[in-house]
Amino acid sequence: MTSSALAGYLLVSGLLLVIGLVGFLARRNLIVMFLCTELMFQGAAIAFVAIGRYLFDYSGQVMVIFILTVAAAEAALALALVVLLHRQGETLDADAYGELSE
Amino acid sequence: MDLFLPYIACLTFALALFAALRPTKLSVRILMIAICVAAVGWLFGLIIGSLSNFNNTSQGVFFVIFSTCSIAAAIRMITHSRPVYSALYFVLVVLSTAGLFLLLEAEFMAFALVIVYAGAILITYMFVLMLANQASGVDSESNPTYDSIPREPAAAVGVGFLLLCLVTGTVISGSSSLPPQGVEESQWATLEHLPKQLESSVMELDPAFSWPPIQSAQDSLLHYDGGEVFVVSSDGTKVVLPESFKPRNTQQVGWSLVNEFPVSLELAGVILLMAMFGAVILARRAIELGEEEKRNILLGSSESDEGGTA
Repeated sequence: MTSSALAGYLLVSGLLLVIGLVGFLARRNLIVMFLCTELMFQGAAIAFVAIGRYLFDYSGQVMVIFILTVAAAEAALALALVVLLHRQGETLDADAYGELSE
Repeated sequence: MDLFLPYIACLTFALALFAALRPTKLSVRILMIAICVAAVGWLFGLIIGSLSNFNNTSQGVFFVIFSTCSIAAAIRMITHSRPVYSALYFVLVVLSTAGLFLLLEAEFMAFALVIVYAGAILITYMFVLMLANQASGVDSESNPTYDSIPREPAAAVGVGFLLLCLVTGTVISGSSSLPPQGVEESQWATLEHLPKQLESSVMELDPAFSWPPIQSAQDSLLHYDGGEVFVVSSDGTKVVLPESFKPRNTQQVGWSLVNEFPVSLELAGVILLMAMFGAVILARRAIELGEEEKRNILLGSSESDEGGTA
């Protein structure tokens, strides 16, 4: 794998990260916002595996295993919170929860 | 390399993404996404140069297919006004990422990604989405306004444009000062840590092989010479190991996982356990009991009958 090929993979990962960030900032649906964080995780995972392949260092793939773990934990917790919020406010609009202090 | 043209490509991408985020007709949106993908293709052309930079041309072609798929699906995911379709497009992103992992010879991670992401996490998202849709009584044809009208798309795309420029600039300026590529021989090093496999594979090649005595802990059993990997027996016979005896990717990852990151592995288990507790505690619903039921539980059913008559 040449350094230009590595640059291509890193660019894909950067683009996925950027698209995830734009989606997270622009969308108002809570669940889609969390989906966008998963998109950013994907970008990071591609960068890890590509650099690991370039250096023949398998720690990159081990990091992806940890990313999967954190993503699964985050999905479970975040979705439980969303379900809780949805029960209170009956909407998934993030702007509707501007004031949560009681 | 001149940074002007890549930044123009980034700007095109950002403007088309902004137009695709705004609520418009579907055909306009598709056109804008096509412009986004074209800008990305231009950026790739500027940075990679030609497909011959990959190991072979078919690998380059597959890279183009999978990366185009993942980026187009990602853009469609953040622009789609129906959350369920966003989740489905995210499955497409995951599948194309798995394809990229296969190209990077990370087959274990590719399948783990498909199983864990597309199989488990996305199903959880779909469940919650459908639960929410059902609970709020939204009929499937009309979208709530918060799904079709984005919040501050200009600011979001501006931030994204700056980040993309940073990433592109770093990739372009950094690719000339990369550390040298790892050596292929380092892939063989894991084989020494798998003594049973090394022994059985050498025995398969040469049944009469006698192992040399080990002088010190740093002694390497494997020797490298001009792309060949071989072991030397105690009487000087050289046995060359063919390529098929190289440790598989899964073995390498497994060795790296338990050898270099044992504490992180335990911590990952704890994180999952805590997430399970947290989700259970957050999502359970308090059971509403009436007066009579509370008394029954507190006193037991027989005593509550007596209390009622007294």
